[in-house]
Amino acid sequence: MKFLPGPKKESAEPLLAFRISAREEALLLATLRLYPVLANGHHRISQDPKTAGSAEQRLLEESMAQLRAAHRRKLDELFLAPQRFFKDAPEERRLVLTGAQLEWLLQVLNDIKVGSWVQLGCPELEKAAPVNLTRPNARSLQAMHLSGEFQAALLEAVK
Amino acid sequence: MPETSAPITVPDTEEEQKPKSKDRPDRGFLVICWNDPVNLMDYVTHVFQVVFGWPKAKAERHMLQVHQTGKSLLARETFEKAEHYVHQLQGYSLHATMEREE
Repeated sequence: MKFLPGPKKESAEPLLAFRISAREEALLLATLRLYPVLANGHHRISQDPKTAGSAEQRLLEESMAQLRAAHRRKLDELFLAPQRFFKDAPEERRLVLTGAQLEWLLQVLNDIKVGSWVQLGCPELEKAAPVNLTRPNARSLQAMHLSGEFQAALLEAVK
Repeated sequence: MPETSAPITVPDTEEEQKPKSKDRPDRGFLVICWNDPVNLMDYVTHVFQVVFGWPKAKAERHMLQVHQTGKSLLARETFEKAEHYVHQLQGYSLHATMEREE
């Protein structure tokens, strides 16, 4: 997937276009179908153990649950009508997003990325220690890498 | 990346270096971002720019501090504002917390 610089002028909000192959499109949709991956109990308002069960901790969990539900609704819209996002251009396929949709996809992909990493046991990635591959965690490893690849492509548009 | 025991440093913003005055509300809550090695550096920089409205250079400085020392103090704020920032950052799945300043 590759960002195509030069916003289209056909709407009030600039559109961001990415060249995408049919295989990448299928992989992106398959990756997005994993959402959400991060567990509900992942979010902590503070390092202070005294805040566990506090009003502010509950508020954070409610806020994240609402955000997750909103992301899920938008994903369902994408799965129902992918042609709203994936368009045919002469000789290529494109993913076309508004700025708000880009932010939404970045958040969704990072949930999948971080959630998959947590499922793998939070390995030290920079030490290149090989993850002990098993059938269940192979999927997490693949999801972590794919979501990162798509994130990196999307971030090209905001550099 | 494991959290480190390095001391929390005060961000280098003009506003944060001003002395406290009676006109300013109590800003005794620290917004801290902790390192998760899984996050892309460009992603963390982008999130800081979006959430705090920072220029890229400042966002990158804090991103590098997170990456190199394990954490960065992003803001010293009132309870409500600190809570708002933590919600925003966690919406992007960054490991951010608010801590009462000692």
